[in-house]
Amino acid sequence: MNSRRPSPILEAGVVAVLGPLLLFSLYLLLAGHNQPGGGFAGGLVASVGILLAWAAGGPDGVSRAVPVRSTALMGTGLVLAVLVGLGSALPGLSFLESGFVEVSLPGIAKIKLVSALLFDVGVYLVIIGITLGLIVSLGEEGAEGTEEAK
Amino acid sequence: MIVLLLLHLLLAVGVLLYRRRIGRAAWIVSAVGPLAVLGWSLANLSGITREAPYEQNVEWVPSLDLALQFRVDQYSLVFLLVVAVAGALIFLFAGSYFSVGPRVATFAATMTLFGGAMVGLVGADHLLALFVFWELTTISSYLLIGFDDHRAQARSAALHAAIVTGAGGLAMLGGFVLLASESGSYLISEIVAAPPAPTPAVTAAWILILVGAATKSAQVPFHSWLPGAMAAPTPASAFLHSATMVKAGIFLVGRLAPAAVASTSWWEIAIFTIGFSTMVLGGWRALRQNDLKLLLAFGTVSQLGFIFLLVGAGPSGLLFGGLALLIAHALFKAALFLVVGAIDHEAGTRDIRRLSGLRRSMPALFWVATLASMSMAAVPLTFGFAAKEAAFDSLVSRATPLVATAAVASVLTVAYTGRFLIGAFGRHQAGGEPIGVGARTPNNWLLWSPLGLSAVGVVLGLVPQVLFELVDRATAAVTGITDAGKLVLWPGWVPALAWSMLSLAAGAFLVWRSELSTAATSAVGRFSERLPSGEGVFRRAIPALLTFADRSSGLLQNGSLPAYVTTILLVAVTVPTIAVLGGLPPLTSPRVGTVLEWSLGLLIAGFAASLIFVRRRFATVILLGGVGYGIAGLYGVLGGPDLSLTQLLVETLVIALFAFVLRHLPAAFAKPATARIQRLIVAAIVGAFIFVGGLVVNAARSPGTVSETYLADAVPEAAGSNVVNVILVDFRAFDTLGEITVLVAAALGAAGLVLPVIRRSAERS
Repeated sequence: MNSRRPSPILEAGVVAVLGPLLLFSLYLLLAGHNQPGGGFAGGLVASVGILLAWAAGGPDGVSRAVPVRSTALMGTGLVLAVLVGLGSALPGLSFLESGFVEVSLPGIAKIKLVSALLFDVGVYLVIIGITLGLIVSLGEEGAEGTEEAK
Repeated sequence: MIVLLLLHLLLAVGVLLYRRRIGRAAWIVSAVGPLAVLGWSLANLSGITREAPYEQNVEWVPSLDLALQFRVDQYSLVFLLVVAVAGALIFLFAGSYFSVGPRVATFAATMTLFGGAMVGLVGADHLLALFVFWELTTISSYLLIGFDDHRAQARSAALHAAIVTGAGGLAMLGGFVLLASESGSYLISEIVAAPPAPTPAVTAAWILILVGAATKSAQVPFHSWLPGAMAAPTPASAFLHSATMVKAGIFLVGRLAPAAVASTSWWEIAIFTIGFSTMVLGGWRALRQNDLKLLLAFGTVSQLGFIFLLVGAGPSGLLFGGLALLIAHALFKAALFLVVGAIDHEAGTRDIRRLSGLRRSMPALFWVATLASMSMAAVPLTFGFAAKEAAFDSLVSRATPLVATAAVASVLTVAYTGRFLIGAFGRHQAGGEPIGVGARTPNNWLLWSPLGLSAVGVVLGLVPQVLFELVDRATAAVTGITDAGKLVLWPGWVPALAWSMLSLAAGAFLVWRSELSTAATSAVGRFSERLPSGEGVFRRAIPALLTFADRSSGLLQNGSLPAYVTTILLVAVTVPTIAVLGGLPPLTSPRVGTVLEWSLGLLIAGFAASLIFVRRRFATVILLGGVGYGIAGLYGVLGGPDLSLTQLLVETLVIALFAFVLRHLPAAFAKPATARIQRLIVAAIVGAFIFVGGLVVNAARSPGTVSETYLADAVPEAAGSNVVNVILVDFRAFDTLGEITVLVAAALGAAGLVLPVIRRSAERS
């Protein structure tokens, strides 16, 4: 099935880069409310990571890096986003209206926890799911050059 | 009221869930529905008659002014009682008629749903609620008619009925919306109390509503579905075509007629034309039928025409006779349908050329049929006679031509009644092996149900005045007219009696000399078969429609991606251009720009321009990516780090995904011949549009824009200082939710399209 031998240098390089990349993607997600970033940009950065995993290991590399089905990610993300919306509808606010609480960690910082962040996590998961789905389906092996062969 | 509806739903779902085990009890359980309706109606009878209409309001979406509003007055009560009495007896009949099995239980559940929808339809005061129940009857009748789904004829008959009544229902919905927007209310009671002024929109509304009612009640020219619907099992036919479905249209015209007459000038003429032509045509065609059930079906069409015109004519005394006739019709027609069902069940056929000698073998059934037939032919001492006298009486006081036409149709009624009775129970020699001699009168609900219906008709015929108060109050509830007619055993020597005796005599003569009517109908039949019939038109119209759909979608959905993109782009250019042409704001000259901005702009332009000259696919992807990265740079320079970041990432991913796709495509484009020039022109138009559009949009900015509100509210309202993100996840979060939903759908669709292709080519290689 996997006819291609990835170069060891590429593989090692990707492993080295993948961790910081995912960390950066999480940072973008969490910081997005106040600094550049957000669920969309964060999800895209993680997608670039998936792309690198494909480049290094092909489809198997992708499934090793992200051992989840793309549909599960998309579904979880969508459900989370809807639940956040319903969660604000329950206490009498309108659908998707956000609220925030201020939590102070003594001596370290004061943090505002925003319910919209959960919504953003939903967006984040959906984006990763979509790109993962596209990479998995478009990047399936065994069909290269068939058109030219005709 | 809502409890009654929920009860029907509960019964249907319960029967459906236990369909494998419930057996014959399905019908007993289902009969609880109509019995509950009967009980409810009787319990509320005196309250509604003496005090005020029953009203119930179940809130649904208050902000949209949507509610389940019910209002049952005496007029609705007449329909409810008819549905309940006929329904209960028909359900019990069905228990003996059908064998036992899960499919039959499903059928019982569908009948219950249908009955519930009918109750809701009659009780609803909100036009949209009425429409929903109306469509529910259409859907469930589709299932009922098509019950024998292994027979192509049943399936096509079900489809025919569903398409005709469904199309009528859609027309009616349009009429409802127009009517409500013109009169300012969706409540029937309010519309009738204050009819809208006769504007063109109101005229259109009434025409559409009339079409809806006429399709449902099988009026000319939409009558053709009803005889076809006889493919349904007999209990369903009896339920749908005597008491319920076809009465829905009548209910609607009767309810709305006062308002319609007030805001149109043609309503009465239209109703009379439709009603009388239906009446005569149905009676005529009934004379030619050999299938007992079809004979009754055309007889139903005829009777419906009469009731339709009496009930729909508006605020006049005609309604009184119409309602009396409606009750009579439900009783005798349901009974006769059930008699046919019993004959079919016992003798195995309902073809009058083959049945013979049933009078001796099934005497009880014969007498039941005779009683019901007498009511249908309006022989004195029956309730049908009392009702028809009331109807004729009100017509006589209107105009002689009206009553004369009705009398002609009554002649036909008497004639086909005779054909029915003699055909079913008489002796014949001609036409193959006679069957039915050995049939025995069934001693179960196959007999008792029609017997009960006939008996009610007989009792009412002897003391018709017991129904006077109900019918009189119902007439008054709609029209405000009391004492519009009388229901009596013997009307005295009045003109109406002369008319009905005349038609009875002429009809009896036609029965006696039946060869006369046979000769006449077959002579006309030879001629009329060359004319387009309703069913023929329908049968030809459907393939024509399919062909049209095929051709038009072949033209519009030609599968060429460049054609689609061109269409989208040109529409995107044209529509705003037309909008702007009206008033172009004064263009301000943009600022000159910095060296960095200029160099990025030139870079983008360079990438874009070189795209034209590249042949290899991969090179175009790289160049497109260059354009994208350049734009990301511009965003960054202009102070949009968020946009810049996102653009950069999207561009990277798009290049990679393009590369994936390109693995399956030839390396270079095929040599373009003519299309290249066209595409260049389209591209130039779009480019010019974007350029000018940018200038126009920039000049059209007004102070106090929404962006200032967002900027001001971001921190205090949403506790976020990144306004772009706050907009995405808070202010416009609902939009974002919609977008990610669309994205998921698109991704799933893309995977679904791509994977099979790749896998297939992988298998081949």
